[in-house]
Amino acid sequence: MAEQGLEGSQPVDLKKHPSGIVPTLQNIVSTVNLDCKLDLKAIALQARNAEYNPKACAFRFAAVIMRIREPKTTALIFASGKMVCTGAKSEQQSKLAARKYARIIQKLGFPAQFKDFKIQNIVGSCDVKFPIRLEGLAYSHGAFSSYEPELFPGLIYRMKQPKIVLLIFVSGKIVLTGAKSSGKISNDYLWEAHSSCIRGAEYLALGQPIEINTIFGGPCKIVYNLW
Amino acid sequence: MATFELYRRSTIGMCLTETLDEMVQNGTLSPELAIQVLVQFDKSMTEALETQVKSKVSIKGHLHTYRFCDNVWTFILQDALFKNEDSSETVGRVKIVACDSKLLTQ
Repeated sequence: MAEQGLEGSQPVDLKKHPSGIVPTLQNIVSTVNLDCKLDLKAIALQARNAEYNPKACAFRFAAVIMRIREPKTTALIFASGKMVCTGAKSEQQSKLAARKYARIIQKLGFPAQFKDFKIQNIVGSCDVKFPIRLEGLAYSHGAFSSYEPELFPGLIYRMKQPKIVLLIFVSGKIVLTGAKSSGKISNDYLWEAHSSCIRGAEYLALGQPIEINTIFGGPCKIVYNLW
Repeated sequence: MATFELYRRSTIGMCLTETLDEMVQNGTLSPELAIQVLVQFDKSMTEALETQVKSKVSIKGHLHTYRFCDNVWTFILQDALFKNEDSSETVGRVKIVACDSKLLTQ
């Protein structure tokens, strides 16, 4: 897993990422409508690297599971023509992969189109390289935090604006999920908010008194209002 | 007991089919009996592989293509290394077709 962190190889633009931490994208989930009815069995029999098992277990999972190597992704293709593409490491790659799957379906003789492509979820991760006191964070950000160490070792932080969920671990490792933004600007926006949160965590870890304004700089104004 | 017709495409299965065809053409064998022989062949192959073959072979290679449809796995391997206790051999391209024998007993 390539990690960009404090000692990352590329210099970090501190104006964009004041915390100096740039999360690594780990998984992108996108959907697209091919806008034509599909014969899944015909697809499974003709296409390479496909799985189709409509009788699997008790529940019927009626989708062809197809994989490609570049970009390394998995697609679920449904008879309705809807498709889910997972596993890409960037939004562009997710779109490219979805286009490749659509092309494969076209080559099998279906009049596949490429409608309503949408990024549904973005998962990123990073390491702040210092331990985080989760109790302190849960206490000071009670409205957003859910920390039940007996159920799950990480703190679940539901950020309101932008609406993302962070899993924060004692080790300083952080997982960000639930982002739907496509487009670069909103993406930067997301990471900005995230790094603001990390700065907050940083203060907590150092045992300094914190003010909400120092934790959420920039795009998190709505959060202060809620506070 | 139901059986797979998987082994009919093996060398021994193909030879049997050819012989049976010839006999049916000659009129020495009725087509019904030929079919019955083939069904017995399916059963015997399954049983023999289950009970009489103890050697194990490992196959390792680059997975070029896979497919799972109608409960049949198909794999195409490139540069596959076949290994058993005392020898090993590399094969450029191999196609593996596999079925789940548990499905027959259900």
